[in-house]
Amino acid sequence: MNPFQKTIALGGMLALCLCGGAARADDNVVRVGMYAVFYHTAADDVQGPFTPPGLSADVSNVQTVYLAYLRRLSPHFDLELAAGVPPKTDTVAKGPTTVGSVPWNGETVGTVKWFSPSLLLEYSFFDESAALRPFVGAGLNFTHFYDRQINGNGQAAFGGPTYVTLTNSIGPVGTLGVVYHFMQHFQVNLSFSAAEVASHLTTNTAGVQRKTYVSFNPQAIVFAFGYSF
Amino acid sequence: MRSAKTVSLAALAALALAACGGGSSGGSTSTSTQAGTLIYNPPLRIASVNATDLAAQFASTSSGQQLLALAGPPKCGIDFEYIEYETVGAKGEPATATGAIFAPNGSAAAGCSGPLPILVYTHGTASTKSYNIANPSDPTNEAWSTASGGSEGPIIAAMFAAQGYIVVASNYAGYDASSLPYHPYLVGDQQAQDVIDALKAARTAIKGGLPSGVSDNGKLFITGYSQGGYVAMATYRAMLAAGMPVTAVSPMSGPYALEAFGDASVFGEVTLGSTVEYPFVITAYQNAYGDVYNSPTDVFSSTYAAGIPGLLPGSLSFSGLVSAGKVPQLALFSSTPTGLAPLDTLTSGITAASPLAALGFGNPFLINNSVRIAYAADALGNPDFGLSVVPPFNGLAPWMGASVALSAATPTYPLRAHLRQNDLRTNWAPTGPVLMCGGHDDPEVPFFSNTVVFSHFWAPYISTVPFGGGLPNNLVTVLDVDPDATLSGIQSTIAGLAATAFATDLAAHASPAKIAADVQVAVIGAFAAHFNLTGATPVPIDPQGVFVAALAGVAAQAVVTFYAQGVTSPTTMGQDVLLATLSFTHFPSEQVACEVAARAFFDPLR
Repeated sequence: MNPFQKTIALGGMLALCLCGGAARADDNVVRVGMYAVFYHTAADDVQGPFTPPGLSADVSNVQTVYLAYLRRLSPHFDLELAAGVPPKTDTVAKGPTTVGSVPWNGETVGTVKWFSPSLLLEYSFFDESAALRPFVGAGLNFTHFYDRQINGNGQAAFGGPTYVTLTNSIGPVGTLGVVYHFMQHFQVNLSFSAAEVASHLTTNTAGVQRKTYVSFNPQAIVFAFGYSF
Repeated sequence: MRSAKTVSLAALAALALAACGGGSSGGSTSTSTQAGTLIYNPPLRIASVNATDLAAQFASTSSGQQLLALAGPPKCGIDFEYIEYETVGAKGEPATATGAIFAPNGSAAAGCSGPLPILVYTHGTASTKSYNIANPSDPTNEAWSTASGGSEGPIIAAMFAAQGYIVVASNYAGYDASSLPYHPYLVGDQQAQDVIDALKAARTAIKGGLPSGVSDNGKLFITGYSQGGYVAMATYRAMLAAGMPVTAVSPMSGPYALEAFGDASVFGEVTLGSTVEYPFVITAYQNAYGDVYNSPTDVFSSTYAAGIPGLLPGSLSFSGLVSAGKVPQLALFSSTPTGLAPLDTLTSGITAASPLAALGFGNPFLINNSVRIAYAADALGNPDFGLSVVPPFNGLAPWMGASVALSAATPTYPLRAHLRQNDLRTNWAPTGPVLMCGGHDDPEVPFFSNTVVFSHFWAPYISTVPFGGGLPNNLVTVLDVDPDATLSGIQSTIAGLAATAFATDLAAHASPAKIAADVQVAVIGAFAAHFNLTGATPVPIDPQGVFVAALAGVAAQAVVTFYAQGVTSPTTMGQDVLLATLSFTHFPSEQVACEVAARAFFDPLR
């Protein structure tokens, strides 16, 4: 079962268990769905002692479970807190083919998990009773990186067991999408979001610190089921 | 229901945050200041190069190709491990220092992993504080410099690590990231302790399991060149005193007999490089003992005194020190006579016989006459009888006829007292095989006042077995890689041959390539006994051949360079070639020849 199937099954369960209830224009919506995140990484060359020029990194795209809570503020405005199951991204080495004789370019050198909630103010078009409502939104993203691991490939290239830190990121996020209310309390939505996420990355290998500044610039396509109440 | 949903989201966030422990490094950092402690374990591996890539890197430069021709193709790749360790300074103060493990990599079947011998390498004088032999990726680093003449790192990598020796090399306290604010240059006990501490730290790292999979097979070799020749000998002495097992040792071209060397210099045998080495040793002894001078102007001329403390090691190369006006190029002493009659007489005789020594006197000069006078008075009153085997002192009073076996006297002048204190002619003896290598026309670390004096001190242990005849019958083999038998020295011989070949080719309008080839043919032909001449290119068959081939290369390169600069007079060309060959004798020509000898000496014992 792939993550999408899981999500659909979960959505189905929600549909089965939470059906029935009050009228439209509920104050709260919870959504569960799927993020497909595309990173447009731009990293400075890694700087530090014993570091050949031109070493950089990229981040592989991920899919993850999307979870959100929306609070209705007015017929046209909602506040969305989007979180999601924190994705684990692969850091992929970019630059020369090898460092010494250790493979570099294209090698997955580490993983990091993202706790990356966004708070957005969204404006929905059309009347509240419309089945299909496009929306736009803007807000702030906060990203905390954790469970940062450098794998064997990375350790070989960095020169040993390596501790990584990434500073938290706070940046703007924008979204646009459409919500389809397919039955009372239930909706599906499809949206596109882009955020500015950037971090100062520092590695420490046997006391030797190397640094880079990474702009991840994630863009996400979300498909989710929502339940309002 | 509403609140339950919110709570579940919050719980999810909390769950996510609970995992925010961060990555674990897997390495450990020692907080002990105990000497010999490895600070980061495992150490940083700066680079890992396999045998194929290593061979390709050497093959990409002409100096690398020459090195591989002598060392053989790499059997192993090399992991360059950077060690940081605890040691002590010259006053016993805690300090950290750094160094390298060149850990061979490759298969156990090829002799590149599993149990392997450890070879401790002690490096020569380095003027730049950033010296780091662990870092082959930086061609601006003095240890891996690709500037004219090359550097030690590639030589040791090719000769030993690529052939399956685990090389352990300290950068020495005071270099690289060391916490010591000065380098105890030629402070024998400290330097030996520093190297032993590096070895202890390296053994901790090796025992901890390096990625290359090497382990210690229990065999330990020590070798070093120039300053490192001295340090190798001092380390051997300290390890024997501590009961640490040593398999074999090869100190090379080192100033082992510091007092005799110092005396000969003060009397007039001024050496190339001494305008850097003297400020280095004087400031090191001032840091270590505090009584060499009250003010730098007590020792150094007013032209240079202000810039001397803290100069070495610093940011400038040898040539950079001269071009920046920090030290004179050659004029160690003043050309004005001192007024101390026996000293001036000796100096006149020495400088009249040696053009190189004569260049050591000039104006502006580095060291005040007052120093020479006080030093010489002490040296004449408390003679070092080691000089009884060093020309021209062997023909003069008070040395003539004295017993060389007498170790150095008890000096009173502080600088000389500290040279004596660090002179390695103390009460000790070798217990295993030793190869002392050098070249008798070495213009930087004189063979006679060091290797010959020291070998007389060790006379009971000196082997008469010529090099290459298998294991020596006795413990110590002295090898002179210089096959030239003329009094004027191999550099003059080569300069003469080069000038003649140049004159002939010039008359025939030969190309620079032909001139270069003819210079090499002439030089190698003059020392044909040390080459196999049956193939297309002459192949050295012994360390003497290696030495000659290296100098022949220098001469050929010099002729082409100076010809391109417009030199057409054979006489001028001869003088230029003489200076070039003098400049490249001690390093790298003599070192490369001695490394070949050391490898051949160690290989059967590994």
